[in-house]
Amino acid sequence: MTKSDPIIVANDLTIAYELHRERKKLVALQNITLEVDPGEFVVLVGPSGCGKTSFINAISGLVPKASGSVTVRGSEVTGPGPDRAMVFQDYALLPWRTVESNVRMPFEFQNLGLSEAEKNKRVKECLELVDLTGFEKSYPYELSGGMKQRVGIARALITSPDILLADEPFAAIDAMTREAMQAEMERIVMETGQTCVFITHSIDEAILLGDRVIVISYRPGKIKEIVHVNFPRPRMNNSDVKTSKEYAELRDHIWNLVKDEASQTNRGE
Amino acid sequence: MAATKNKSLQQFDTDDPNRIQDIGWTFKEVWRRTRGTVVVSINLITFFILWELIVIYGDINPLFLPKASDMFAELWVGLTTRAPEGAVFSGSILDHFLHSFNNLMFGLAIACLIGIPGGLLMGGNKYIESILSPYVWALASLPRIALVPLFILFLGFTTKMQVTIIVISAVFPIMINSWAGVKTTEKSLLAAARVFGANRVQLYVKVVLPYTLPFIISGIQQGIGRGLIGVVIAELFGGSNGLGYLIQRSADTFNTAMTFAVLLLLIVMSLSLINFTRWLEAYVAPWRNVNHI
Repeated sequence: MTKSDPIIVANDLTIAYELHRERKKLVALQNITLEVDPGEFVVLVGPSGCGKTSFINAISGLVPKASGSVTVRGSEVTGPGPDRAMVFQDYALLPWRTVESNVRMPFEFQNLGLSEAEKNKRVKECLELVDLTGFEKSYPYELSGGMKQRVGIARALITSPDILLADEPFAAIDAMTREAMQAEMERIVMETGQTCVFITHSIDEAILLGDRVIVISYRPGKIKEIVHVNFPRPRMNNSDVKTSKEYAELRDHIWNLVKDEASQTNRGE
Repeated sequence: MAATKNKSLQQFDTDDPNRIQDIGWTFKEVWRRTRGTVVVSINLITFFILWELIVIYGDINPLFLPKASDMFAELWVGLTTRAPEGAVFSGSILDHFLHSFNNLMFGLAIACLIGIPGGLLMGGNKYIESILSPYVWALASLPRIALVPLFILFLGFTTKMQVTIIVISAVFPIMINSWAGVKTTEKSLLAAARVFGANRVQLYVKVVLPYTLPFIISGIQQGIGRGLIGVVIAELFGGSNGLGYLIQRSADTFNTAMTFAVLLLLIVMSLSLINFTRWLEAYVAPWRNVNHI
């Protein structure tokens, strides 16, 4: 496989849910065709209920597709796999497990042929990467929101997956911690060279993190426009980026695209 | 990159020696820790003294309300003596208490053995759920006392009958709580486990069961309350031993002090068992209590 081959390919992908009470089928996402290159950071933005989460769930293998295909490294996605990991909006940490034990969880479900010593080393590395050394024995309820999400990120990184999926990971985190977390997300993805598909409602977050920003329209979700972002990295602690004219223009452009869709949401259909 | 690291480290720095300071044993701190016990003790002592005084000076017939001191005396004697070997009837509270307590524990154990797996199965499989749920709800909503004559008919005035009534009383809260625990397992936890590769068995063992454990314990807690009612009902209606029988017998023989002594013992027993399960719940699932604050 050459470097230019895309790692994720969605071809004419449609996802629909059956609403049994109304005896209807709701098309969440329609005819999505998208290729993601290895190491690329793709951000999806769009109004609530536009099917962003369905897309990410289709890549992770949690949601079955109605038609079309999603392939990862050329093979069709039929279920979850160790090459893909996910970071959740509500952290989804097991509350009865310590930080260390939560981070180790994927090893219990996936046999990667690692020895105990290797697993321990990997847990230590990942906790170091997200700055949680010293909190190994803490329980999630003892941590702040930002720290919980660091655990979520460490858990996603533990098996060194090729693809990191993130579903609004910082939506529930306060604004100040959020900026620090964005910076760490950028740093981690740069360090590990992973491919990342990231959902957000924040246009700033999208521009600061994404190589490409995919704007999705309201029900049924279709790709409205793909915006390329070419600022050099790291962007997060580079004040030149945020104050540049280009940034303001990009922000304006994406905002205008999203605004139309958001007003449709407000009208209620 | 280095700047990022420093910034976030600073944010969660716990090494500052001034951050945690020793309060020490000030009067306020000692009072804060003991006030609960002190207030309860004073409250109860006052209650029993008032009771005593009202009976002595209030010209109340001891047949209806014995002196508190008589009640405690009866309790003390009853708990420190036992019937001689081969006695037909025991007047010892301890003998009857042990009978009731053993029955309760035995009944609760059987209720757990039926209720926990039953509830887990109902929560885990929708076919089992739809087959069993009408019967579970029917029996759970029926006042258990209505079944007592039937069980006396089936099993006679036996210990077996008494235990059966305890089981029937305690099993449904346990079963329904376990069932609800499985059904309410957070969807995002299940999604997370699935994304990281858990199969069906692993989902059940590593996510659903630990999530359900505190529900099971609060089911047992409710089961204890219901089971105690079952104990007393079964013994009041049919039997010649147990605390329920002793209440009946002592009231019939105008030994009101004994009746009150047994009632007090029931209260103490019930509260101790319920507090034990509360402690157990806090011990096995500290995360749950925090979430509820």
